[in-house]
Amino acid sequence: MSEITVELTVNRRARTATVPARTTLADLLRDSFGLTGTHLGCEQGVCGACTVLLDELPVRACLTLAASCQGSEVVTIEGLDGPDAERIRAAFSREGALQCGFCTPGMVLSCYELARRRQVLTRDEACMAMSGNICRCTGYNGIIRAVRSAIAEGIESES
Amino acid sequence: MKPAEFAYHRPDSVEEALGLLGELEEAKVLGGGQSLLPILNMRLAAPAHLIDITGIRALRRFEEDDSGVRYGAVTTHMMIEDGLVPDPARGLLPHAAAGIGYRAVRNRGTIAGSLAHSDSSAEWPTVLSALDAAVHVRSNRGDRRIPVRELLLGFFTTALAEDELITAVEVPRLREGTRWGMVKMARKPGEFAESLAITLVRPGETEIWLGAARDVPVRLAETETVLAGSIGPIALEQLAEAIGADTGSSGYERQRHAVAVRRALETARGETVRGAEVHV
Repeated sequence: MSEITVELTVNRRARTATVPARTTLADLLRDSFGLTGTHLGCEQGVCGACTVLLDELPVRACLTLAASCQGSEVVTIEGLDGPDAERIRAAFSREGALQCGFCTPGMVLSCYELARRRQVLTRDEACMAMSGNICRCTGYNGIIRAVRSAIAEGIESES
Repeated sequence: MKPAEFAYHRPDSVEEALGLLGELEEAKVLGGGQSLLPILNMRLAAPAHLIDITGIRALRRFEEDDSGVRYGAVTTHMMIEDGLVPDPARGLLPHAAAGIGYRAVRNRGTIAGSLAHSDSSAEWPTVLSALDAAVHVRSNRGDRRIPVRELLLGFFTTALAEDELITAVEVPRLREGTRWGMVKMARKPGEFAESLAITLVRPGETEIWLGAARDVPVRLAETETVLAGSIGPIALEQLAEAIGADTGSSGYERQRHAVAVRRALETARGETVRGAEVHV
């Protein structure tokens, strides 16, 4: 039982893999499925670079066992699409919200959940909401501008 | 930074989980894994078996009655933060939940997992001690109910036997006329607390609990006595001395605890607006 077979949906595609039970969701995505957009920074839940959507909620892929994802739906940065994702990508580009880019997949996925809520956030609230994602280039001003801009455009798109 | 090898089990029912817990050696229960996975990744723990209880639907239910709310063991912090389950403590539970880690952590971390982990600088041990919550525990030998105040024995140490599983957490309704205050001081958002003060103020009585001061949450009995005997506001220095007597802390730590307690008293009394956590 130290090997497990896990069946899940990744970026809307049904996938199956047999891996050691100790495999994290992050390693499953990167090593078994070649989805290397999910980045591994700290592997202890602090940096947020490995954030993915699990059944529509952001989670740390480094603190989630692949085995626990049996039957779940995972969306990684590679599979994130739709109007909200497009607005976030455009805002990140326009506002200079990425420098080296290592933290960007996690930042974009955390931002996506915020944008989907359709709630205006003050600058302080946006900072708090994004505080689980670390940018080692310290490019936070651009990131927060992009997050607030993408949220505002999402709300505007429905009014 | 990868876990050591283990065998993984994903029972569908509590009975199956109890069977595994009774029969396997060196088994650990896995809830949301937000404390256990970092420990496994750093190889501070290397259990032979992991029993993942998040697939057990019965552990996701809640029940509410006049006395309070009983949460299934794998109720997540997010469900409490977002009000997807009832709050018997008039805002204290969602307020506490919102301060735990980050959103991505709250989406997976569970209330019973946090108690079983027993870190006094985390939110639930102190909050649920203050509210006099209890856990419902099952094993093949029988069932029992353990008050949170008796469950937590020290850092990472609880009164749970190796074959026992927390199935639910029961939180009593906050008594009518009680106002609460909570102040968490941490180095940055989402961090574990450096001081975690909970105050429950009702006419003629003030109860104070402090987390992150010792290995388990502490009720500040001496401090409560000093407060009861004082007329008008109490000097911070006097508060700090009483907290020192209650916790054994000194210097900067004692001062930080005193400031946290004073602010939690002020918010419970409605003297200051309830704010987010304080970063020191």
